[in-house]
Amino acid sequence: MNVIEATRLAVESIWVNRLRSFLTLLGVIIGIASIVSTYAVIEGLNKYVEEKLSNLGSGVFTVQRFGIITNRQQFLDAIRRNRPLRREDAYAVRERCTSAASVAWQVRSTADLKRGANELLSVEVSGITPGILEIEPYDVADGRILMPFEDQRSVPVAFIGNDVAERLFPGVDPIGKRLRIKGTPVRIVGVAEKKGSFLGFSQDNFVKIPYSLHRKLYGTTRSLRISVQAKSSSSMDDAMDEVRAVLRARHHLRPGEEDDFDILTSAGINDLWRGMTKTIFAIAIFVVGISLVVGGVVIMNIMLVSVIERTREIGVRKAVGARQRDIVQQFLIESIMLSCIGGAIGVAIAFGAAALLSEYTPLPAQFPTWAPWGAFLVCTCIGVFFGIHPAKRAAKLDPIEALRTE
Amino acid sequence: MSDAVIRAEGLTRSFSMGTTTVQALRGIDLTIERGEYVAIMGPSGSGKSTLMNLIGCLDTPTDGQYHLNGTAVAQLAEHELARIRNKEIGFVFQSFNLLARATALRNVELPLIYGGIGPKERRERAAEALREVDLDDRMDHRPNELSGGQRQRVSIARALVTKPALLLADEPTGNLDSKTSHEIMALFQRLHESGNTMVVVTHEREIADHTRRVVTIRDGLVASDQLNDAPSSSGTA
Repeated sequence: MNVIEATRLAVESIWVNRLRSFLTLLGVIIGIASIVSTYAVIEGLNKYVEEKLSNLGSGVFTVQRFGIITNRQQFLDAIRRNRPLRREDAYAVRERCTSAASVAWQVRSTADLKRGANELLSVEVSGITPGILEIEPYDVADGRILMPFEDQRSVPVAFIGNDVAERLFPGVDPIGKRLRIKGTPVRIVGVAEKKGSFLGFSQDNFVKIPYSLHRKLYGTTRSLRISVQAKSSSSMDDAMDEVRAVLRARHHLRPGEEDDFDILTSAGINDLWRGMTKTIFAIAIFVVGISLVVGGVVIMNIMLVSVIERTREIGVRKAVGARQRDIVQQFLIESIMLSCIGGAIGVAIAFGAAALLSEYTPLPAQFPTWAPWGAFLVCTCIGVFFGIHPAKRAAKLDPIEALRTE
Repeated sequence: MSDAVIRAEGLTRSFSMGTTTVQALRGIDLTIERGEYVAIMGPSGSGKSTLMNLIGCLDTPTDGQYHLNGTAVAQLAEHELARIRNKEIGFVFQSFNLLARATALRNVELPLIYGGIGPKERRERAAEALREVDLDDRMDHRPNELSGGQRQRVSIARALVTKPALLLADEPTGNLDSKTSHEIMALFQRLHESGNTMVVVTHEREIADHTRRVVTIRDGLVASDQLNDAPSSSGTA
């Protein structure tokens, strides 16, 4: 019997028992759907992190008091050990790092901003040296970025994010208008291009003012984040070594003592992130793997039931000339088809879920294009693995016995 | 002798039931020539079903020689037996054994599918076989839309469709009323007259009387083998 005939038989048999077939497939459907949508979300996050979160240019790294902290012990150690980075540290880095093309720094605080009836809470107000806007480029929608002389002379000017512009200046061109920060009127000189939100947090809710002005308004206690642009991406390691040497000397660290600051690179952030999501995905695969195994066992069970129900049919087929391999083929194709139908439904659900997630939740989800092929492959394996035993059992039936069954 | 469809010599078949061994057949010699119409009779437990299974290549003998249409089948492997069943034998069962979900035409096509015949030729030959049993107007009906007699005729068409060397019927009228039985036997008569070699296994004298030769089995041996010179007329169905 050829494959087309066997396929036709499988379709018939699945269709005759469609409710049962569907229930049988729930395990596989859920398994495939969850694995693909989990992957879609993780892939979406990865893309996002690559594009938006670690948008440091090449050859750029930052130095800060705390790096990425992933557990409590790290946090406690860092609190005890790491000292705030001061303006003097930044000056030293700028003066003594010969491999750096430019050095800039910023300090962050938050404020609730008000203008007339409009209020915006928890706006990130950061004091920057203007170099920051070149190292971590912001696209300017309107006006201009801050100028070096404005930092040197503490000119009360601000470069604001899109949210601030829209919420505090609805329908008004904010350029040239004033904002009060800590009672001081600050003139707006530029508005940034909209960046959108990440995990529900707006990326446009900021006001950037000259560092020297921030110092006047908020004092000197906050730790700086220093951004360094190496002369070329190949000299990045040299630049990092120089920065470490400078800061360790300034902080009087003995050889062997750990750094009391942290250096982050774009690649470092990405690696850390990918490491985390890899773990999540591995756990997801494991959990979903269990559901696929359960789904496979259910398919095997229903195929065994099907063999028993069709014992007589198998006897007839054998009597008219079906060989064992014909019977194996028939039942194996049926189990593979069952499993693949489950996979197809699962992929379709995941596709819908990914679309809905990106549309209606802050989670960016990216449907992986390999999913249909991957699911097809996995489901074929499930169908073969869990179908071979029932199929062989069917093939080995004694035709005389089988024909005698009621 | 060279034209024997069935040539069995010293066929034995024993089954082990736990510790004891049951001898169902104890040495059967039987030759059936091409074109014969034979009944195999015997009470239940006589071994006639076992003999039928051996003749039908559903089973292999414990000992002895069996040639079907010139092929020694006693030592064949499973897939070779399957091929013999497909090409050389047409089965007609007491309970029809049609596939419930398939139309009459599909049921008749079944042996051709396993014979590797392409769809077009398959369809034509199945339709022709159904015409032979006067069911050309019921091709697209499923078994549950057919009467008992019609179902049995579908199964006869299925047995004929491969043009087998031997038509082997096991109690073909056992599930039918007497009028329908009569029709089926008339059909068998017609098939015999058109040259088919037919073996009918039955325990009913009345059915055996329609055939030309009656072989009686008792206790695993051939008890009698008689020609029936005056077969009962099968009427005109």
